Amino acid sequence: MNAIKQKDLILYSGLIILGLAAPFLFSAFKVQLTYLCVLIVLAMTWNLQGGEMGYNSFGNILFYGLGMYLTASVQVGMFFPLAEWTESGGEKTFVHTTAQYFQGISVGLLVAAIVPTLVAGAIGYAILGLRGHYFAICTLGLGIAAGEIAGGIEIIGAGQGFTTPPFPAEIVDPEARGQFFYFLSFLVLVLAFVFVKYIYGSRFRLILNAIRDNEDKAEAMGIQTMKYKIVGWMCSAFFCGLAGGIMGGLIGYIDSTDVAFDGREMGVFMVLMAILGGKGTLWGPVIGATLFHFFKEGLWTFILGWQYVALGVLIVVIVVYFPEGLMGWLREKYPDRFGEVIDEKDRKAQVEIK
Amino acid sequence: MNKLVKLFITSVSAITLALASFTSSFAKVEGEYIVLGSAISLTGKYSSNGVHTQNGYNMAVERINSMGGVEVQGKKYKFEIIYYDDESNPKRAAQLAERLIKQDGVHYMLGPYSSGLTKAIAPVTEKYKIPMVEANGASRSLFTKGYKYLFAVLSPANQYLEVAIDLAVEKNGGKPVRIAQAFEQDAFSQDVRLGILDAAKRTGSEIIIDDKLPKELNDMAATLAKVKATKPDVLVVSGHTKGALTAIRQISEMKVDVPMLAMTHCDAAKLSKQHGKNSEFALCASQWHKNLSYKDNFFGGGKKYAKDFTKEFGYDPPYQSAESSAALLVFKDAFERANSFDRDAVRDALKDTDMQTFYGNIKFGPGGQNIAKPMILFQVRCKGDDCENRVVAPTKWASDKFYHPIPKWSERS
Repeated sequence: MNAIKQKDLILYSGLIILGLAAPFLFSAFKVQLTYLCVLIVLAMTWNLQGGEMGYNSFGNILFYGLGMYLTASVQVGMFFPLAEWTESGGEKTFVHTTAQYFQGISVGLLVAAIVPTLVAGAIGYAILGLRGHYFAICTLGLGIAAGEIAGGIEIIGAGQGFTTPPFPAEIVDPEARGQFFYFLSFLVLVLAFVFVKYIYGSRFRLILNAIRDNEDKAEAMGIQTMKYKIVGWMCSAFFCGLAGGIMGGLIGYIDSTDVAFDGREMGVFMVLMAILGGKGTLWGPVIGATLFHFFKEGLWTFILGWQYVALGVLIVVIVVYFPEGLMGWLREKYPDRFGEVIDEKDRKAQVEIK
Repeated sequence: MNKLVKLFITSVSAITLALASFTSSFAKVEGEYIVLGSAISLTGKYSSNGVHTQNGYNMAVERINSMGGVEVQGKKYKFEIIYYDDESNPKRAAQLAERLIKQDGVHYMLGPYSSGLTKAIAPVTEKYKIPMVEANGASRSLFTKGYKYLFAVLSPANQYLEVAIDLAVEKNGGKPVRIAQAFEQDAFSQDVRLGILDAAKRTGSEIIIDDKLPKELNDMAATLAKVKATKPDVLVVSGHTKGALTAIRQISEMKVDVPMLAMTHCDAAKLSKQHGKNSEFALCASQWHKNLSYKDNFFGGGKKYAKDFTKEFGYDPPYQSAESSAALLVFKDAFERANSFDRDAVRDALKDTDMQTFYGNIKFGPGGQNIAKPMILFQVRCKGDDCENRVVAPTKWASDKFYHPIPKWSERS
């Protein structure tokens, strides 16, 4: 047991060092790496519902988009009139000072973590009674509806979109912006990972698994499934909101349906990444997101115009050959490496019976 | 676990090495090439206009290169463009702009298609002080952000259809009109809407229908049903290519009678070809038309440009292609005047641009927008089954008189 822990320690400290050094090692790839961190966070938190709880949610994009709009709105609204900022053709230009920018984004991210969590609680109370496909379809509707509603609210720019505050001009170093957002997203990634790992070792995960495997039995055993489902969703919403807030600042422009409530891309990607890596595992979503991002960034541009066909093929390949994801596939091939003991006698006996 | 960990560490270090060696730098200028970068919508909802834009860029690159290229400090250089597909998505566009600048080492950018994507890219180019000449981002809010490295060869979006309202008022004997309008929910169309609101206020006109259309635009029957019931004097529709196509398709299907129909993107949608007679009398705002009398040394005039373009790509050039070609002429001119590849020198040269191209005069205002070129309006007119876009305003270039009001469907053959 101790040996494994030591190995884990080496692995984790190695990864953290790599993470901290990455923006300096691959300076040109900072923004890609920031995307990677955010993608991993989204996949990992989606896995809490889709993988552990068995509730395929397409609605996590709602919290992501909400976080994005909230961070930007708070960041602007704390210092300037928000309506004038988003008004198109407005004659005034507002400029954040360095201090204002960072104060704004800190408070903004805080709000972006808390409000979506509360919203998840409220919505979860209303719709987590639905199961299976019904829940999936319902959450799919949530993201789409949110996009359309946001596209109609004038104060956040409506269809015009919302330009988030530019990085303070007083910081002359052009690398600073990339580094700032990278470390921010890396921090959120580490927090999310530690949190999910903690959940994996807790009774909470067993309850989520029980809900996935047989909700009625879990209920019958005295577990208040509704309560746990809501709490589980709130946990995801917390990190999705943070991820959204960071992305808003990084992209610099929020569009209601294409950037914020981007169910067609981000909303699908987070599901795809978790399934690619293997849902219901700790490392699956991390590996899935990493592979997916490399696949996307590496191949996308070489097959201009055909990338979505390639993505379609990828989805088919995953579903047909790796239905349990990469981790699931590895686990089936090398069960002993996952700590699963195989009774050789028993296995041989079974073969003989056949 | 042991082997897994090993495998993991091996793959991480392999990727590390691969990436580290990848962090290459194409220079801004490689050998005899000046490398420009552009994210273009080759897929997604803007793909048809994205291709118009790309064709415009390519046409100009070929023409400039074949005519001697760009001369800087006595040496001849050629243009080369690195393209990525932004999938009509602002998030992707911003990411690709970063990639072009940081990974491909591009020092000069050409704009994407649409205001929304330009809005997403501008903060990135601004941060890295990369001059960007864009030809397809018309939203006014682009020019009020104090951007210093953004230059647009086109007129702002709010000017697109303002004139149409003035025209309607004029035809109404100077009395205010009743306007019905429907706009796609995107940066460009919403800015066109603001222009109409201004014009309505100025002329005392009343807006009786003000609808928003979804981004994946293929149905506006609800708006048209209201138009049928309320009988406005003018119907204004804007929603890029799909908006124009949907409007004409459903207006002709539902036989909606309205005295005046004002739109955008008629030429990009090839309306007169695709819908023939059904599109007749539609009034369209355009940045450019081949009949305008502007001239330059590379493309000659508009008519010659149109002829060459048709020969190369097989269709009449919409204004999106023309303005994109003009963007390269602007870059060439700026490089030669700067006589240097220093980004700030090029930027200063761009700021002082004052030239005529086949597409129109180009001179940049303090916000980066082109202030030297008016918008034009054309109307689709048919002879038999052969339909054409005829310029009706401003009077300087008008080849035809504006036909008003549109005859009722029951009277149209």
